[in-house]
Amino acid sequence: MPALSVSSLSKTYRTGLLRRSTVRALDGISLAVEEGAIFGLLGPNGAGKTTLVKILLGLVRPSAGTARLFGRPAGTPAARHRIGFVPENHRFPGFFTATQTLHAYGRLADVPRAERNDRIPHLLDRLALDGRGDTKVETFSKGMLQRLGLAQALLNEPDLLFLDEPTGGVDPVGRRAIRDIVLELRDEGKTIFLNSHLLSEVEKVCTQIAILRDGTLVRRGRVEELTAVDRVYDLVATSVPDSLLNTSELPLTPGPDGSSAASGLDQYRVHADDRATLNAVVDRLRSAGVEIESITPLRQSLEDYFIDVVDSPT
Amino acid sequence: MRPLLGLVLITFRELWARKIVLGLFIVSSLVLLAVTFALNLDVVEGSLAGIRLFGQEAAPEDMGGEDAPPLTLSRVVVAVESVVAGVAYWIGILLALFASASLFPDLQSDGRVELLLSKPIGRLNVLFGHMLGVWSAIGILAVYLLGGVWVIMSLKTGVWNPRFLLSLLLVVGMFAVMYAAVMLMGVWTESTALGLIVSYGLIFISMVLAAADQIGPTLGPVGGPVFWGLYHGLPNFTEVTQIVSTLAKGEAVSSWYPFVSSLLFGGAAYAVTGYWFVRRDF
Repeated sequence: MPALSVSSLSKTYRTGLLRRSTVRALDGISLAVEEGAIFGLLGPNGAGKTTLVKILLGLVRPSAGTARLFGRPAGTPAARHRIGFVPENHRFPGFFTATQTLHAYGRLADVPRAERNDRIPHLLDRLALDGRGDTKVETFSKGMLQRLGLAQALLNEPDLLFLDEPTGGVDPVGRRAIRDIVLELRDEGKTIFLNSHLLSEVEKVCTQIAILRDGTLVRRGRVEELTAVDRVYDLVATSVPDSLLNTSELPLTPGPDGSSAASGLDQYRVHADDRATLNAVVDRLRSAGVEIESITPLRQSLEDYFIDVVDSPT
Repeated sequence: MRPLLGLVLITFRELWARKIVLGLFIVSSLVLLAVTFALNLDVVEGSLAGIRLFGQEAAPEDMGGEDAPPLTLSRVVVAVESVVAGVAYWIGILLALFASASLFPDLQSDGRVELLLSKPIGRLNVLFGHMLGVWSAIGILAVYLLGGVWVIMSLKTGVWNPRFLLSLLLVVGMFAVMYAAVMLMGVWTESTALGLIVSYGLIFISMVLAAADQIGPTLGPVGGPVFWGLYHGLPNFTEVTQIVSTLAKGEAVSSWYPFVSSLLFGGAAYAVTGYWFVRRDF
């Protein structure tokens, strides 16, 4: 059973005084996220990411389609028992201390007092907020607030965690700390649904991504598969004779980084239309005495891939 | 049950963290201290022999007019309790509305509502928990002031006026009615200012509606029914003052209609609020 699934999900907002204007935020989205995945939801502003997350959490009602969390209809209290959520710009009552905040929101998450008493000191310690338990939340920095938000989301030991821009406005050290925690949670088997604009962060932690554009799902899959450039490979080998380069016989060009003096190896790029061509290149190079160190599919950065996708004509 | 209780506690704490509620508590404490120490009643064999206010002698015979009935101990008790109940009703409710008006719009604001509604608690329970939290915070203030005055006056004089305690219920009940208007505006517009304007406006209109017997018959075939429709449909805040005063005097209330019709308005406003709150997108 997937941790979450949506099927033909659509949402149209009605706006204006007489609610006659409409805005189509989601248009027939279908996707599923398996348990244990770190799933990144990407898209430009206005693509419908926040609407999708809000439907899954029950904050927004879909116009059509279904959304389920662990098989239960999304938005019901029963479905929310197994989830944790860190909103982008969450606000806690400032007069609470960190410990009081966690007790208050733990109570809302239906966590018994004895369990709260056990978990809160541990969570404060894990999120580098130990020693801050008695400090009023209104004095917290942005990074500390984000970590406190993560603590409240983890208090009920959720199986599925929604993170909406968890590192937004956080300094690099805090960002690293949050990323490390996300990876720890992945190792614990939690499913994580990450909504972020920071593509470098997404690339570092997510196993799968989906890209929304104008309310529709335009790409989804594993990060390494999506970012692999079709039929282009990086080859590292001993020096290839000039006679073999840039010829019609071999689709081989010098790589962008050139030779690596330290290892005595050179980099090349192979443009093979199919597997047979790739193998033919390898055979020709071997017969010419070239020693091959590695051949890897060329990958572009997630940011480049994302921009290609969202800028491409519909 | 635990999430509901959690929301009640958060709302309660949030209201009590406001300076204006703290101010109401301090003023209530001063009133209780004044009633305890500043108002001295000399009672001799069950009768009032003298009154001293802040140490100044005020002979009972000086306190009424020439035609006024003799000032008895029970009349002094009634007078003190009436004044406190009247002030608590008008000033207390106006200030309590002012203090609490932003709570519901705040609850629905970005960053707060997501945290709340992502928890395993239904929206109606969120609404109910919020209402209970606000009512209980204001109720405790009312019990502290009115109950305190009742206990102190009764212990000092031996005159126990149990009907006065009903006025406490009226104060909390009418606050709940007027808060329904604040919440209705809150769920509709998320505006604190509009909630206050509407609730204070209803109180102002109730002053006009209190003169329904005089105004109604003068309004003609169209205006008359409209006026009476407003009278029966809107909270009769001003007329309930009379009930509070009657209860404070220890007398029987001849008609509870103004309070009952106000409660009906409050119930309807809460029902509409609940309907909207459950259906709306955040």
